[in-house]
Amino acid sequence: MSLTLTYFPVRGRAEVIRVMLKDQGAEFDEKVITMEMWKESTLKASCLFGQLPILEDGDLTLYQTNAIRRHLARKLGLYGKDQREAALIDMMDEAIQDLLNKYIKLMFEKDDSGKEGYLKALPTDLKPFEKTLSGDKGSFLVGDKISLADYALVILLIHHQVLSPPCLHAFPSLQSYLKRLCARPNLHAYFHSDDFKNRPIIPGKRT
Amino acid sequence: KLLFTTGRCGAMRIMMADQGQEWKEIVVDFADWMKGDLKATCVFGQLPKLEDGGFALYQSNAILRHLGRNHDAYGKDGKEAALIDMMCDGVEDLRLKYVKMIYQEYDTGKDVYIKDLPNHLDKFEAVMAKNKTGFLVGDKPSFADYSLFEVLLNHLVLCSSCLDTFPSLKSFVEKMSARPKIKTFLDSEAYKQLPINGNG
Repeated sequence: MSLTLTYFPVRGRAEVIRVMLKDQGAEFDEKVITMEMWKESTLKASCLFGQLPILEDGDLTLYQTNAIRRHLARKLGLYGKDQREAALIDMMDEAIQDLLNKYIKLMFEKDDSGKEGYLKALPTDLKPFEKTLSGDKGSFLVGDKISLADYALVILLIHHQVLSPPCLHAFPSLQSYLKRLCARPNLHAYFHSDDFKNRPIIPGKRT
Repeated sequence: KLLFTTGRCGAMRIMMADQGQEWKEIVVDFADWMKGDLKATCVFGQLPKLEDGGFALYQSNAILRHLGRNHDAYGKDGKEAALIDMMCDGVEDLRLKYVKMIYQEYDTGKDVYIKDLPNHLDKFEAVMAKNKTGFLVGDKPSFADYSLFEVLLNHLVLCSSCLDTFPSLKSFVEKMSARPKIKTFLDSEAYKQLPINGNG
């Protein structure tokens, strides 16, 4: 695969793609587009929905973060062992996207007034994932191998801990899941890298 | 297949109808839902829920993809699958804007929404026109097509002229509506009685 990821110099919506590729040891190039470049160039007009990220995979040019993630997941064997697991992975991923969209909305609010309400509601959103991961149901959200959905959840949990360090205190299975995934050698190396640490979560908000 | 339903089921119903997939529908009354028994059994506390054999699935887009896989409506290869995902995600972005306007901003935001709509529809028009097959990707309907079709039907209710400047989309809606099984479904009492959205 000859992969090129084009995105802004932030984690934003593309970070989950980076995390997946890094963990899998898949090589990829990155094109960084600053806000100035985005405003001044014709790139935006050339993007199907006027948005980043873009993934170029050989002669295939893909837009939409989740389409990119699914494409890579299919190629890298991160979509379950059969159709049933694929459906369950999709289900988990959609729910993670719902929480991610709430999180993004909060991050872009002009002040902190929504934070308290958000954190109060957060346990309700985390509970289904805690339940899924508890007991002896295995180390991942679906099946016995890491999937598309796990990468989305791990980075979302990391960012929620930045937002509120104690947010996982009532969720032992999520804590142990996060610890286990972050101990994967490639992820451990990546999360400790300057590359990851110095990239802001969203524009203007340091980690 | 059993479908417990809400407003986010339009596309999956149309897909199942077109693909000749029989299904049983359980419409959950809002008052019953608020009692909480069913809600507590739903993994994310939400509907729709699809039961396929002994297998329960939630999240409307996960259901759509599952049906897509089962009915060969997910492209002929990895490249088409990726493009279908991309188009479906684009449709979902539009659906989210529509739902937001309907539930939160109908009185104040409806006119602005309709005025801005061409800026979103033109992207689908461009893809449809370029593909030339009458579908978004490849030469047969995918779950992205069913999703787009449903969203466009809803928009035509909102504003009956919204596709007048988009000939490929207009023709797409006409052709999809004329597919025999879809036509039967859209003409049925079951379909006509279902409200589009929860708030009328």
